[in-house]
Amino acid sequence: MVLNISKRKNSTRYLAITIVALLGIAGIALIGSGLWIKAKANLAQILLNQAFEETVFSTLKSGIKPWYWADMKPFARLKVPRLEVSSIVLNDISGEALAFGPGHMVNTPVPGENGTSVFAAHRDTHFSWLKNLQLGDVLSVERTDGNKVSFKVIRSWIARYDESGINADSSSKRLILSTCYPFDSNTPGPLRYLVEAEIDHTTAISSLEYLNR
Amino acid sequence: MIFNGNKNNHNNSGKNHVGNNLPTKIHHVTITDPDTQSRAHAGTTPQHSGLPLKNTTHRRWAVTGIFNIIFIPLMIGIIAFASILMIVFTTWNTATAKNSVKRIGIESIKIARLVRPNDMKSGGLLFPSKREGQFVEAPRLATDVKIDISGPIVRTIVSQRFENPSKNYVEGIYVFPLPENSAVDTLKMQIGDRLIEGIIKPRAEARKIYEEAKIQGKKASLLEQQRPNIFTNAVANIGPGETIIVQIEYQQTIKQSSGLFSLRFPMVVGPRYNPQPIKHTVDFNNNGNKTAGWGSIDPVTDREKITPPVLDSSENAIINPVTIKVHLAAGFPLGDVKSVYHSMATTDENESTRTLELVDKNITADRDFELTWKARGTTPNAALFKEQIRGKDYILAFITPPAVRPQNHIVKNRETIFVIDNSGSMGGQSIIQAKFALSDALSRLSSKDKFNIIRFDDTYELLFPKAVMAIAKNINRARNFVSNLEADGGTEMLPALQASLVDNNTGNNEHIRQVIFITDGAIGNEQQLFDAIASGRGRSRVFTIGIGSAPNTFFMRRAAEMGRGTFTHIGATNEVEERMTAFFDKLENPVLTGLQAEVQGGILSSVSPDPLPDLYAGEPIVLAAQMKSAEGMLTITGDYGDQPWQISMQLDNAASGKGIGRLWARRRIASLEASRSYSNDSKNIDRNIEVTALDHHLVSRLTSLVAVDVSPTRPKDKDLVSKELPTNLPDGWEFEKLFDRADQSPPMMQKTRAYQKASYQRTAQLMTAAPNPQITRGLVQNNLQAVVLPKTATDADRNIILGAMLVLLAALITLITAMWQNVGNISRQHALAQAKREYNRLP
Repeated sequence: MVLNISKRKNSTRYLAITIVALLGIAGIALIGSGLWIKAKANLAQILLNQAFEETVFSTLKSGIKPWYWADMKPFARLKVPRLEVSSIVLNDISGEALAFGPGHMVNTPVPGENGTSVFAAHRDTHFSWLKNLQLGDVLSVERTDGNKVSFKVIRSWIARYDESGINADSSSKRLILSTCYPFDSNTPGPLRYLVEAEIDHTTAISSLEYLNR
Repeated sequence: MIFNGNKNNHNNSGKNHVGNNLPTKIHHVTITDPDTQSRAHAGTTPQHSGLPLKNTTHRRWAVTGIFNIIFIPLMIGIIAFASILMIVFTTWNTATAKNSVKRIGIESIKIARLVRPNDMKSGGLLFPSKREGQFVEAPRLATDVKIDISGPIVRTIVSQRFENPSKNYVEGIYVFPLPENSAVDTLKMQIGDRLIEGIIKPRAEARKIYEEAKIQGKKASLLEQQRPNIFTNAVANIGPGETIIVQIEYQQTIKQSSGLFSLRFPMVVGPRYNPQPIKHTVDFNNNGNKTAGWGSIDPVTDREKITPPVLDSSENAIINPVTIKVHLAAGFPLGDVKSVYHSMATTDENESTRTLELVDKNITADRDFELTWKARGTTPNAALFKEQIRGKDYILAFITPPAVRPQNHIVKNRETIFVIDNSGSMGGQSIIQAKFALSDALSRLSSKDKFNIIRFDDTYELLFPKAVMAIAKNINRARNFVSNLEADGGTEMLPALQASLVDNNTGNNEHIRQVIFITDGAIGNEQQLFDAIASGRGRSRVFTIGIGSAPNTFFMRRAAEMGRGTFTHIGATNEVEERMTAFFDKLENPVLTGLQAEVQGGILSSVSPDPLPDLYAGEPIVLAAQMKSAEGMLTITGDYGDQPWQISMQLDNAASGKGIGRLWARRRIASLEASRSYSNDSKNIDRNIEVTALDHHLVSRLTSLVAVDVSPTRPKDKDLVSKELPTNLPDGWEFEKLFDRADQSPPMMQKTRAYQKASYQRTAQLMTAAPNPQITRGLVQNNLQAVVLPKTATDADRNIILGAMLVLLAALITLITAMWQNVGNISRQHALAQAKREYNRLP
C-alpha cells in the first residue's frame, strides 16, 4: 500500500516538474525573442547611421551597405527635433528590412520631390513615437544626395492598409508616415495610423549649403 | 543569416537548460521527499510502538491523499486559466473596439447596415459600401417637412441634413420615394459651404454635365427618376466630414374619396423596421429582450404573430429626427382634421385654414404620415381652379358626382377572383391584414356570386380549377385555405396575374368579372405587369388592395387604373373592416362609364387623364386641361348604369391657383407613359414626354435635374473652415430647422451624441474608400492605384508578455508545490516529535 502510493506520488511529481520546466523555458524563450527584435532594431540603427554618413559623403551613387550581407541600403535620415528622434530610413519595406529601420515605399517619390512619399515602420520599434506627433511638428529628412527637406505635420488619420487613399502622384510635396494601429494592440491588424506632413519651404536647405557647413 | 544562426544558438542554450535543470531538481526532490523518509521510519518504528505510529501513518495517508486529489486538478486548472488569460489577452484589442458601440446601448444593427436604393421607403443619403451594389445609409441628422395644402394642390418641401462620416471625398446617392403621381420640380443642395440648385435638362445631357463636373472635382448633383415613384439624387465630391443638406420640392393632388380628403408622406425608415422574417431573423434576435425568448417556442407556428420590431419612439427621435409642419388651406369650412398615425398640435387661422405641427419628435418610424380632413356640413362636390402660364390657361376640375341611385338599377351578380400575395415580403402584420381583408370579402359574397382564390409567391396555385358558386361549402373550403397561408418565398406576380385574367365565359353578361389583388406590390417588373393587364383584361376589372404600412402605391394605382378598377389601401389591422366596407360599396354601386369632357364656347386642347377613367361611388373626377383661354361651359358626359349622365360648370368662375400647369404636365406625362403600353409609336410619345417635362421643369423618365453652382461669394473676413451656415442665404433657402435640436433634454442630447459617434464610426467602416477627385481622374485614366501600406507590427511585445506570463505560471506552480512539501514536512516532523515523546515516555 505505502509503496504504491509513493510510486504514484513520484510520477506525479516528475510530471509536475517537467511541466514547470517546459513552461519556464518556453517563457524565457519568448521573452528572449521579443527582446531580440527590439535589440536588433536598435543595433542595426547604429550600423545604418555609419553607412548613411558614408553614403552622403561618398560618390557611390548606389549607396553603401550597412553590413556586408545586408540586402538593403540607407535611404534617408528622418529626424523629429521636438521628440529627439533620429532614425535611418531604408530603401525597402520588406519584413526583413523593417526589422532594422523604417522603410521608404519604392512606388512613392523621394521626399522633397513632387508627390507624396510614404515611410512605414513598426509601431513598437522605430515608429513607437508616431503617436506623440502633434500638428505643426517638424519632420526633417536628410537625403543621401545631401539635400535636407523639412515637412510640417498637417493631419493624421486612420485607414485600412488597402484603402489608404494616398495618391503618390499628388501635386504638392508631401510626406506620409505609416504605422500599425491601434498602438497598444498586440496582434497585427488591417488598420494603419497615418501622419501627413507638407513641405515647409521656409526651412528647406539646399545641398550646397549643407555641404558648406 | 547570422541572425538565424544566433536564433538556433539561443534555442540550443534553451535545450541545455532543460538538460541541466531536470536532474538537479529531481535530485533535490529525492533528498527531501517526505515519503521516502517517513517510509524508512515506518519500517523501523512499529517494533517500538503500535498505536501512536498507526495514528501517524493514518495522518500521512490523509495528507498524501489530499495531495493527489487536489494537486492534479489544481495544475490543470492553472494551465486552463493561463490559456484562457492568453486568449483573452490577444483578442482584447479587437473586442474593445466592438464593445464601444454596445456600451452606449444602441445595437450596431440599428446604426448602419447595407441597403439597396430600392429598399428605401423614405428619403435617405446612401454611400457606396465595400460590397458592390449595396449601400450604407448616412446618419440622418435632421429632416424637416413643410407641407402646404392649397385647395386640391399639395406642395411639399423636404429638407434633410446628413454628414459624410468618412475621411474621404465620396459620391453619395440621395434616394427619395415619393407619393405616386407627384411631380418633382426643385432641387437645392448645400454641400460644405457651396450652394447648388438643379436645372432641368434632357436625361442624357444632364448625365454628361454631371460626369464632367465630377471628374473635375467640382461639387455636382444629378436628380433622376428611377421609377415613377423613386427618385435618386447623385451628389459628387462630398468632402470628409462635410455636411450635406438636400432640399427637394414636389407637388401632388390631394386624394378624395367618399367625402374624405387625404394626403400621405413617406416616413418609414428603411427596410429595417418593416422586416422580412426570412432574411432578417438574426437581426431580430439581437433586438432586445422582447424577442429573446422566441427561440424556445416553435418558430414556425408563431411566425405570423411576430410583430415587426418597431423602434422605441424615443430612440427614433435620435435615429430619425423629424419635424413636420402642415399648412392646410382647404378652400372650404373644415370639419374633422386628423393625423392618422402621429399626434399634431393644431392652430386655427380661420374656418377653412389650419396649421398643424408635429407635437413631439418621438414619433414612430414604421408609419407613413397621413393627414385626413373632412368638410363641415355638406362636402363641396365641385371645385374649379385655373392658372395662366406663358399665355396658356391650365384648368383643374374636381367633381364628385352626388350619390343618386339611378332608377331601376340592378346589382349584377359577380364573378370575383381574389389574388392573394403570400410571398416573404408580406410577413408579419401584412399577411394578417391580407387574411382579414380576404375573409371579410368572402363574407360579403352572396350565394349567387361566383368566386375563386389564387395565391402566389414564387409559385402560384388556384383554389378551384375554375370559379365556383359562393355556397357555404365552397366558402368554408376557401376559409381553410386562407387561414393556412404563410408568408414565404419570392414574388412572381406575372403568372398569377395572367391566370387571374383567364376568362372562361367572355360573353357572360349576367356576371360582372372582378379581379381583386391583395398585395404589398413589392415587385420590380411593373411595366411587364401593366402590359399584361392592358392586353389581357378583356371584360375583367382589376382592383388592388394595398397591404402594409408602405405598399408600392404607384404600382397599385396604375394597375387599378389600367384595369379600370380602384385602389384601396389598408395600413393597419384595425382599418380592415372600415376600408373593406368602403371598397365593397364601390363594387356594389353603379359605375360612371364612358366619361367625356368638352367645352362649349372654347377649345379644350389637352385633357388629362386621357381618356377619363371610370368612376366609382364616392370618387371624384380630377380633370386637368390646357386651354387657350379658360372660358365657356365645361360639360362632362357619361353613362351612369344604363342612364345617360351629365354635369356642367362655368369656367369663368374658376379661382386662380398655383401649380396647376405642373399638375397638368405631370398627369399628361403619366397618361403618355401609360399609352406606351398600347402604342407602337414610342419614339413620338417619348418626344412628347420630354417636351412637356422640360416646359414645366419636371423630372421624368427622360429629364433630370442637374445642379448648378449658385453659391454666393463668401466674404473674405469669414473663416473658411467654419461649418456654420453662410449668413447670406439666397431667398427661399431656409435650413434653420435642420440645426435646431435645442429642445432635447440633456440625457437625450448625450444619447444623441453617443449615437451619432457610433453611427459615424460604423458608417465610415462600411463605406468604401471612395477616391478623392484627383484619384477619380486618375482612375478614369486607368493608371493609378492608391498606395497599399505594409504590415508594420512586430511580435516583440506579444512575445515578451506571453513569455513573462509563462515564467510567472512556472513560478506559481513551483511555489504551490513547495508549499505542499512544507505542509508534509511540518506534519511529519510533528508526528515524529510526538512519536519520540511517546517512545521516551516508555520505560
